[in-house]
Amino acid sequence: MSEPTYLELIHASIDGELDEHQRSELASHLLAHPESRALRDGLKDVCAALEGMVAVDPPPQLRAGILAALPRLTARPQPLPRAARWSAPVWRYAAAFAGALIAAAVLYEARVGHSPDATQVSGTMAGAGTRAADIVDTVRLDRGPVEGRVSLYRNAAGFGLELELVAGAPVDVLVAGADQKLRITGVGLPDSPGGPRLRVALPGVGTSGQTVGLTFVVAGREVGAATLSVPPGR
Amino acid sequence: MEDEDDGTLVRRCRDGELKAFDQLVLRYQKPVFNAAFRMLRNPEDARDVAQTVFLKVFEHLEQYDPNLKFYSWIYRITLNESINALGRLRPCEAISGNETDQSPGLEQQVENEQMSRAIEQALMRIQPDHRAVIVLRHFLHLGYQDMGDILELPEKTVKSRLYTARQLLRDVLVEDGVC
Repeated sequence: MSEPTYLELIHASIDGELDEHQRSELASHLLAHPESRALRDGLKDVCAALEGMVAVDPPPQLRAGILAALPRLTARPQPLPRAARWSAPVWRYAAAFAGALIAAAVLYEARVGHSPDATQVSGTMAGAGTRAADIVDTVRLDRGPVEGRVSLYRNAAGFGLELELVAGAPVDVLVAGADQKLRITGVGLPDSPGGPRLRVALPGVGTSGQTVGLTFVVAGREVGAATLSVPPGR
Repeated sequence: MEDEDDGTLVRRCRDGELKAFDQLVLRYQKPVFNAAFRMLRNPEDARDVAQTVFLKVFEHLEQYDPNLKFYSWIYRITLNESINALGRLRPCEAISGNETDQSPGLEQQVENEQMSRAIEQALMRIQPDHRAVIVLRHFLHLGYQDMGDILELPEKTVKSRLYTARQLLRDVLVEDGVC
């Protein structure tokens, strides 16, 4: 057997991985070769010293540091659920359905011949002056120090942000869009002005494809960022 | 939750349970920190590496292959991050030479603490690849198969590298008069 093979046997014996036959083969070799014995003893000492080294305790702040850094990762906007992604078409279907309903009602009223005229019916259904906002884009914030959602809406007055945030500490939202910057301070708490839900108009926003950048800040530290955009064709 | 296996905790993390991730941190912070410390021999660098390891684990949890043991995955990241850190850090000149010369005489019986220090110094004088197998085998107490999984090497290569590493370590210790 060649020298390297005996070397392997020596290492394997230190690791306790020899079978009976190999053990006896190595024993015979060591008996006849004092230099191999010295090598085996030296390696055994090194391994024993390695095994005897005491494991070091991690610094106490390690775990806290890791957990504190997680919000930076979790505050990134999550992909919207399918239902939310489909919200615009759903609203369109709902509007079409409502329109069909109105048409049917008008037709029915015209054929039956009593009750108010068509304009009166249509005016009542439209709710003049109280048109609801149309949500055009939304980001959700999950699993971070700030949770909830921020939506870009459009109503008769133009575009704006609707913030529905919940946080353990007041959140500042830095808004950048349409060559202007805006800082919305102290949102996210139940006793914030207007509660956890807040609407802020964004004059100047409205061009198709235009983006609005959002940065969420808690206690002076950025904890997340997101972008909303005006869909093409708006 | 403390008794839950790694796979269950990983699944819970993927479902967004930060407490499950905290449990993984509690379970692995010591071996991860120790592995990094033995690779770098500097507690601050080891702490930075350990922190990076856990954040990478968290960030890439979706990419974790459940066919690989979780500890194999986290230790692989630990070794890779440690080796990357070695590339960024200054060379190990502070660890060699002078300090060894000041150690007790060759004939003197080496106390446990001195032996540990001598081994730490010797470890820094062998190549990181060799140091890594020593760390896996003797500090993390892993078998050859796990070592192979972590290093992405066949078991035979792992054994051969481990044997070489031990011998190099012994040579350094002999050179320093410790063995």
